[in-house]
Amino acid sequence: MKQAIFRARFLLWGLAAPQLIVLFLFFYLPIILAFCWAFHLEQPFGGGSQFVGLANFRRVLGSSEFWSSAGATLLYMVLASGTSVAAALVLALAADRALKVSPLARNVFIWPKAVASASIGVIFVFILNPFLGILAPLNDLWPGFWNPRTNVLHTYIMLFAANVWNAIPFSFIILLAGLQAIPQELHRAGAMDGAGPWRRLRDIQLPLLGPQLFVVIVLEVADSLSGSFGLIDTMTQGGPGGATNLLVYKIYSDGFKAYDLSGAATQTVILMALVACVTGVQYLFLERKVNYDR
Amino acid sequence: MPETRSNAGIGLHGLVKSYGGAPVIPGLDAELEGGEFTVILGPSGCGKSTLLNCIAGLERLTAGRITIAGREVQEEEPKNRRLAMVFQSYALYPHMTVAENIGYALKVARVPKAERMARVAAAAKLVELGDYLGRRPGQLSGGQRQRVAIARAVVREPQVLLYDEPLSNLDAKLRQDMRMELAGLHRRIGATSVFVTHDQVEAMTLADRIMVLNKGRIEQFDTPEAIYHRPASAFVAGFIGSPAMNLIDVTGDGSHLRLSDGTALARHPHRGPAILGIRPEQVQAAPGGIPAAVTWREDLGAHCVLTLRLGDGTALRLATGPGQAAGTAATLRIALPAAALHLFDISTGRALAAAAAPATMKAEHDHLPS
Repeated sequence: MKQAIFRARFLLWGLAAPQLIVLFLFFYLPIILAFCWAFHLEQPFGGGSQFVGLANFRRVLGSSEFWSSAGATLLYMVLASGTSVAAALVLALAADRALKVSPLARNVFIWPKAVASASIGVIFVFILNPFLGILAPLNDLWPGFWNPRTNVLHTYIMLFAANVWNAIPFSFIILLAGLQAIPQELHRAGAMDGAGPWRRLRDIQLPLLGPQLFVVIVLEVADSLSGSFGLIDTMTQGGPGGATNLLVYKIYSDGFKAYDLSGAATQTVILMALVACVTGVQYLFLERKVNYDR
Repeated sequence: MPETRSNAGIGLHGLVKSYGGAPVIPGLDAELEGGEFTVILGPSGCGKSTLLNCIAGLERLTAGRITIAGREVQEEEPKNRRLAMVFQSYALYPHMTVAENIGYALKVARVPKAERMARVAAAAKLVELGDYLGRRPGQLSGGQRQRVAIARAVVREPQVLLYDEPLSNLDAKLRQDMRMELAGLHRRIGATSVFVTHDQVEAMTLADRIMVLNKGRIEQFDTPEAIYHRPASAFVAGFIGSPAMNLIDVTGDGSHLRLSDGTALARHPHRGPAILGIRPEQVQAAPGGIPAAVTWREDLGAHCVLTLRLGDGTALRLATGPGQAAGTAATLRIALPAAALHLFDISTGRALAAAAAPATMKAEHDHLPS
């Protein structure tokens, strides 16, 4: 922003202030507090805290429950973002073949993104209910065919189904826009060069879709680490047997159900570091392969 | 690559292409000789690119047959037709280097790497791109991209080369250079070439034969010389030549062609209404001729173009010979030499046989549009 446009410096700050205040109150302040609490022992109902150095970290990292939760979190991150991006990519490729998406249709497509994940969780729990849901008739035929309340595999399938449904619209729109921006003549040139549809997909469409694919992957990976809370809280509460007790849910239950504020803050710091690391690694290694030439 | 002429002629038989019921090409027959450089010329929307895409196999025919080297190909995939295409926007793969772009077709065809590299190098040399093989298309100028597109087309040694307005994105100077290079390239590789353009200069300079297309129909398919000197229709006459041929509504009384106010324009035995065509450079200033008012003067340096108004208000353009001054007179007397007249049917626009002008007039070559 050139100073010549805004002569008075206070005007600049004035215009940016609402955004900055909101960011500080709801983003930076909690982070700072979490960092603070991670190095203190907090009273469950307030009233004084005691500096304990790295004791919280030693306690958290020494617990096997934390490690199994972290493992489940990483597994969920890879599978949830993988399935949702892959599903959106397949749909976008299919749609790109013969579809002109009107602005209205684009608008309709994006609606599921606006539904809170907690609502989606409630709906999917009902749809996939082993006794009342769409798979219930199969349970009548083969008892125990589908039971996400006891079978860990079924539980994860249920979570992924809800997550994919939630995540597809956003990724789909971005990927479809990227595909439609690839000039028609490139497809024709590819066809003239003897490349069939699959070959063109591999050699022309996917490389040129790199920037969009990268953005979608980065956002979905970050979202799968933090955004899974609503789904887990409404669908599994971390069960069965703690199998879906991902870090983001464990932080909530440790902090607000078990009143271990310091432990929850410590795990929050670790989760933030994990998100930062994963995103950083993506930018370092994945982005190198992205080609921005058009 | 050897100096041979491809023997892959292209036959178009009863070719129909419609989009949702609206025919773009209502039915077209033509034979393109093997090794010939055919230019398909016409205004935008005349169906010329559609015709090219049909030959390429990028569009399915609604009806009709296409043969290449005597083999029916209308049901074949583009890759099986042994042809290559240069696109208007070049359509280079932006994420591949020049060498990868040129060699992509060979890679898809599983040509061994050593042979592929050799052929890519040879094609790049043909278009003088040898130093740029490692670059990306984004780092090249428009002319260089055009060369990559051409190299990519010739590397497969196709029987047929298709060009879809390949020069229209270049500036005037570069277009002229590329025109010469394309002509030279055609002489060297001798592939049957089909070149689509709306630019009459490209058509006149590159073509062995020009196919003038109007609303999906062939107006005339002949050598540039015949197209220019013996236009088969008023459409062709008006489309070729710069400035365009004068087309004037006249009525013949058996001895003279007259304007609506009765002014005799030229001697001619035709009877009845007709369209009289005469090229601006063949309208002559002549003492004792038809009086005309000069309404506009354009001095183009090499020659001048005057816009005249005849007695009944008909506009007529006159191009002076090279170096001839246009004068400053407000009025002028002109004559229309009988040998330079073209006569077209008033309703169909087709040339009337009796009016066929003498084949060549040497002086006209100076007036070829440039």
